[in-house]
Amino acid sequence: MRTLFLLSGEGEGFVPPSSNDFELPPAFGDNAFTTKPILLVFLSVILVSVFFLLSSRKAAVVPSKLQFAGESIYGFVRNDLGREIIGHEFMRFVPYLFTLFTFVLTNNIFGIVPLLQFPSMSRVSFPYVLAIFTFIVFHYVGIRKQGIGKYLKDIMFMPGVPKPVYILLTPIELATFFLVRPLTLSLRLFANMFAGHLLLLVFILGGDHLFKGVLGLKLISPFAFAFGIGLTFFEFMVQCLQAYIFTLLTALYIAGALADEH
Amino acid sequence: MAAKDESNALWSIFGYLLSGMLFWGGVGYGLDKWLNKGFFLLIGLLLGIGAAIYLVWLRFGKE
Repeated sequence: MRTLFLLSGEGEGFVPPSSNDFELPPAFGDNAFTTKPILLVFLSVILVSVFFLLSSRKAAVVPSKLQFAGESIYGFVRNDLGREIIGHEFMRFVPYLFTLFTFVLTNNIFGIVPLLQFPSMSRVSFPYVLAIFTFIVFHYVGIRKQGIGKYLKDIMFMPGVPKPVYILLTPIELATFFLVRPLTLSLRLFANMFAGHLLLLVFILGGDHLFKGVLGLKLISPFAFAFGIGLTFFEFMVQCLQAYIFTLLTALYIAGALADEH
Repeated sequence: MAAKDESNALWSIFGYLLSGMLFWGGVGYGLDKWLNKGFFLLIGLLLGIGAAIYLVWLRFGKE
């Protein structure tokens, strides 16, 4: 393998993509607030707003294609994530779920849009912030609904257990609700986007590097590119799925906080 | 409603197992460091997984 690498690319070894590829320099001057991920996040906000403003303007009984597209996404979030999971109080949370879903979905899909090609959620701060929002929302909802005492008591003390066992179980329940939930929520999204982007980099940069090598390697490089393209479609699936799962879990947490008992 | 309960169970079980290991494993690790022993981490992890499985059974296994 080593000799193959050395044969390719005029003696320079292949530099495999690494986490350094995610730390992009500022786009304008040295203003740290203008890095690509930040600009992409702003772009996603503009895109989502414009798309849904256009699709809901001039709403007609017989919908245009645009209105139909907008309404199917909204209907999906409202019915399959809101009504199905939260139950009869779901309408209050549909705006939040809908914003979350469209925002995460757009930012994920940026990973495979030509020219943009960077999933902003592969920078861990963005998923952290979203998870903190969800964390605040579902605890707030639970405390408002049941009062802080009963809410905490429901979390900490599972009914039907002999008292000494609580020493064992209560820390686990607390860790689940206050630490593991927001952490897994954000890290799952981050890791999926990070790994997906890295995977595409490996195959596309690798294909490029092989193409610059000797003839035998040139012949292999189309396979690397073909794999890269195939993985791009696979990434599209992962990106949609992760946006869905993030919203689904938020809805499940809210539903759990609203429920009277476990 | 069935689909909701199923996906809820799926993610909750994952969360419980993880936090069981994290918390009691963490306690074991701390004891190891404090007392200069080597076996509390293992005990903590096993205890955490056991307690988490018991918790899962309590919540989802009884119906």
